[in-house]
Amino acid sequence: MASEEESTVKEPLDLIRLSLDERIYVKLRSDRELRGKLHAYDQHLNMILGDVEEIITSVEIDDETYEEIVRTTRRTVPFLFVRGDGVILVSPPLRTA
Amino acid sequence: MNGGGGGSGSGGGGSGSVKTPTDFLKLIRGRPVVVKLNSGVDYRGILACLDGYMNIAMEQTEEYVNGQLKNKYGDAFIRGNNVLYISTSKRTLADGA
Repeated sequence: MASEEESTVKEPLDLIRLSLDERIYVKLRSDRELRGKLHAYDQHLNMILGDVEEIITSVEIDDETYEEIVRTTRRTVPFLFVRGDGVILVSPPLRTA
Repeated sequence: MNGGGGGSGSGGGGSGSVKTPTDFLKLIRGRPVVVKLNSGVDYRGILACLDGYMNIAMEQTEEYVNGQLKNKYGDAFIRGNNVLYISTSKRTLADGA
């Protein structure tokens, strides 16, 4: 019984497959985030995304006040190939409840 | 047989059956875990599944940066190369000890 259960246990990549053709949120290295529709992916997490918004976050610290100035840069790209080695996290889009 | 306590074993008694990292990975599915990334970011949630590359799928995930809760994800997939460690935890929920 235990061995049968193990053959049906899904890998994390199988769970990504459930998000195909859905909008997803991707966290990348270099403080970047993507939101777009997942068209394809592979085991390296190379991904094809459609209708993508990219958000680049940068934090500056004021020398005098030491306050953090958080800046975000946004751009939209209709079709994007993402190289997998830059991917940190993949998730369904954050729902701002 | 390991006793019924599903939490962290008292002392090392319960860990006698875990011989290899692979055994550990099979053991911890479904448990609350702490995943620390190379970048220092912390993710706490319930481990849904993982694979030999340390790719991780988690549920009810919370993201902690510098000890501060930054984001919550319903489901999260984390690419294995970013993972520094996976640790089990007694999940400390905010609403009760």
